[in-house]
Amino acid sequence: MSKPNDLVQGTLDLLLLKILALEPLHGWAISLRLKSMSGDVLQVSEGSLYPALHKLEQEGWIAAEWKQTENNRRAKFYSLTRLGRKQLESEAANWQRLSSAISRVIQFSEG
Amino acid sequence: MRMEHWWFTARLRLRSILLGRRVERELDEELQFHLEHKIAEGLANGLSPKEARYAAMRAMDGLEQRKEEMRDMRRIHWLTDFLDDARFAIRSLHRTSGLTAFVVITLALGIGMTSATFSMVDALIFRPYPVPHSSDIVTLASTTHDTNLDDFSYREYLDIRDKTKSYDGVIANAGMEAVGFSAEPGATPRVRGGMMVSGNYFHVLGVEPRLGRGFRQDEDQVPGRNAVAVLGPDFWKHEFASDPGVLGRTIRLNGTDFTVIGVAPETFPGMLVFGHPDFYMPLAMARVFSTNLQKNFFEDRDDRELSVKARLKPGTTLQQARNELVVLAQNFESEYPKVNRSRGAAVYTQFETRTREDLNWKFGVIFVILALAVLLVACTNVAGLLLSRARARTREIAVRLAIGAGRFRLIRLLLTESLILASLGGLAGVAIGYAVLQWFQSFQNVIFMTDLPFSIPFRMDTRVLLISLALSALSALLCGLAPALQSTRVDLVNGLKSADVDVPGRKRLWGRNVLVVAQVSTSLMLLTAAFLMVRGFQHTLLEGTGFAKDHLLMASFDPRLVQYNAAQTQQFYKLLAERVRQAPGVQSEALTQNIPLGTDDFDGIAFVPDGFQMPRERENFNSTMDTIDEGYFETMGIPILRGRGFLASDTAGAPRVAVVNEQFAKHYWPGEDAVGKRIRLDGRAGTLVEIVGVAQTIKYQGSIEKPMDFVYMPLAQHPVARMVLMLRSSGDPLQLVQPVKDIVRALDPNLPMLHTMAYQDYYLNQAVEGPRIAMKLVGAMGGVGLLLAVAGLYGLVAYNVSRRTREIGIRIALGAASADVLRLVMGKGIVLVGVGTVIGLAMGFALEQLMNSMLFNAGGIDILAYIIVVPSLFLVTMLAAYVPARRASRIAPTQALRYE
Repeated sequence: MSKPNDLVQGTLDLLLLKILALEPLHGWAISLRLKSMSGDVLQVSEGSLYPALHKLEQEGWIAAEWKQTENNRRAKFYSLTRLGRKQLESEAANWQRLSSAISRVIQFSEG
Repeated sequence: MRMEHWWFTARLRLRSILLGRRVERELDEELQFHLEHKIAEGLANGLSPKEARYAAMRAMDGLEQRKEEMRDMRRIHWLTDFLDDARFAIRSLHRTSGLTAFVVITLALGIGMTSATFSMVDALIFRPYPVPHSSDIVTLASTTHDTNLDDFSYREYLDIRDKTKSYDGVIANAGMEAVGFSAEPGATPRVRGGMMVSGNYFHVLGVEPRLGRGFRQDEDQVPGRNAVAVLGPDFWKHEFASDPGVLGRTIRLNGTDFTVIGVAPETFPGMLVFGHPDFYMPLAMARVFSTNLQKNFFEDRDDRELSVKARLKPGTTLQQARNELVVLAQNFESEYPKVNRSRGAAVYTQFETRTREDLNWKFGVIFVILALAVLLVACTNVAGLLLSRARARTREIAVRLAIGAGRFRLIRLLLTESLILASLGGLAGVAIGYAVLQWFQSFQNVIFMTDLPFSIPFRMDTRVLLISLALSALSALLCGLAPALQSTRVDLVNGLKSADVDVPGRKRLWGRNVLVVAQVSTSLMLLTAAFLMVRGFQHTLLEGTGFAKDHLLMASFDPRLVQYNAAQTQQFYKLLAERVRQAPGVQSEALTQNIPLGTDDFDGIAFVPDGFQMPRERENFNSTMDTIDEGYFETMGIPILRGRGFLASDTAGAPRVAVVNEQFAKHYWPGEDAVGKRIRLDGRAGTLVEIVGVAQTIKYQGSIEKPMDFVYMPLAQHPVARMVLMLRSSGDPLQLVQPVKDIVRALDPNLPMLHTMAYQDYYLNQAVEGPRIAMKLVGAMGGVGLLLAVAGLYGLVAYNVSRRTREIGIRIALGAASADVLRLVMGKGIVLVGVGTVIGLAMGFALEQLMNSMLFNAGGIDILAYIIVVPSLFLVTMLAAYVPARRASRIAPTQALRYE
């Protein structure tokens, strides 16, 4: 699969945390949600999604739970933990700083 | 926050480890769930089911790789990999269980021997004092020309205690001595071990009594005022059944009533390596105990009977403490030139003290060296075996490398194997070490034939277990690394084609050649050492002791136990000697302060040969001495070479006389007759004593000793409290026991007879059996080492040759005669053994020098050991090369080419 919108290294974690901050979801739903929330711009390959989810789980930022979906299938739902919420806050702040810094640089060079 | 994080992740890791299968299943299920949705999406977009499936699979980018990535996220792969390796290793070791068993036993012998011998060295040198912050405890010693670990006198101790500033307390103790103990005033006293200590002893050491209290400073100030005692933990347990009511009770020590004020804790068996005092008394009670009768303990500055220790102040360096004490010693010297001339002082750490005060540790060090040699031989054996095993797996390893296993990963796998082998070996080794120590403990009564509380301090404790663990890890590396490195360096193409192919080039045999050389040299060293020890011991036994040991009965007396004064004591011995001489069956009688080759050390004597030009810096010379009565030389069968022995006329009022041994006479008056010469006791102004006889030199302290200076003093002129009665019997010496008992009872029914036994029995146990135990240990190590070395050597050489079967076939096919082939193969073997022999000889010589300097004093090189050891090792190696070489040279070339 071509990856036209490959995510900047490290931002996937932030996005996943943010999505899960809204409500617990399973992997498939996360990939759909990411697509729709970003207006079809951002897309995560399955190859990156699951390792990333497992990493977040091992870090203790998200927790997994097996639950029934609306059409009665068993699926692994991820939800944000308290630690994850703190992590999200700090990563989001980080991102804000980084992106505003980058845009300032870009504008400077044009001006 | 950190803690919480840790808690989360640890739980998850634990889950992945313990519920591995379930986690795997969930992984599968999760991806499957995603895949199904992906397919459904494809179908909805109008793809055919087949196309939708392919598209979904492609999108997942390879399911298995994803799974592996996700497993890595669990961060336990190092563990799971290790467990996989271990499982694999166990399976493959199980397949070759014979080899595995051999390897494990080999390693176990090496590790077991080493940990057992280490426990000896540990107990003798390294084990810390059983007190808090034990590394701050230092030993203060008086030094002279002849010794660098002399004791201090009571007066000197007080000065040191009061005038030094480097310490948080300075303590003193006398040696552990035999004390007559009775729990009730009326009971017959029994001999127990007591130790006099300074009032601050427990306080400075930081030992909190388990019951009651330690001594107070004021209980150690006025001589004879405070008769108080602290019990040792074992003594309290055995003598008083751990009764807490013992506090305040009165016990009788050497006939004086003492009040029990405390019990030392379990954790404090005492500061000595071997002895565990039954009770402690304050120094101020010295008059009740055995101090030098010729001196005044509390006043004489040269009555040096106290060992002094101190606790360094935090922040004070050893060097500062040393400088301070040296200055103090110089002050002593200028203030008291008579008794302190050329006397210095030193401060020692625990290690320095232990390596100076008791020489048994030298045996321990030699044992450890030998045991390490056994371990080295064991490791080379195992390395050789693993090497040949790894080569037989060339194809397996080549396949693994070909399908992408990293070399490092493979080395890890192979090292895991040797680690498992070494762990099994270590476990079995600990068992062997434990057995060796138990065996050693069984000689407790042989080694310490005394009533005092001595015990063998060697044991399997945490420290020794840790060493065994380290040894196992070390041997895993030693025997696993070389094979692992070599076998992962295969040429893939050839490796895959053939089951078993050597890397071309000279390098291939290098590892094995080193192993052969190491084995030859190490086993040569081991054998040399074993030979030397056994022969040295036989030599000393053959040399004899210089006196008669048979038909002798011995019994000790200590009239202080019933509170005799000096005059009563003299009277008692006089009557005892007179009466036993009349007893039927007694040929002759002797009294001596110490028996030869006994457990107790002889006293020392300081003297100046009269008219002798003393070196400027020396106040006097020292010698060992014994106090005897006039029957001693005859009873012990020690010839008087010149002059006379002691006579009944050498009474207290008569001129002072002494007998010296031949060594002493030769030492001070070479080429002259010592009889008629005079010595002054203590120093230039001391009492004059005339030498009236020269006795033959015998063995005094131990059967392995060089000839030493010795002086005999008559009992009548040099009174001593504790004496041993020796009786020469016409028949069985034990038949004299009852008559002697009757005589003693008639003299004083309360006086106990101690150590009553036939001297011959005592001698055999003490002087022969003790060294024999050491010989057995060394012999066992030598034997085990040789056995392992021969087996390993044979295996290695034979394997080396058999691997060249194809090459030999080619040579024969090309026209080589079998003699040529033999020469080729054997030549290689001879070179290797030659190199090994040279190295082994060098190590053997070095060890021999070490042993000579430590134990035996022969000084020469024992040629016979080498004459026997070298050729026999050569023979074994030659045989190992010859048998397969001969087979190879006889093989038909066509067969040889197809070999392997």
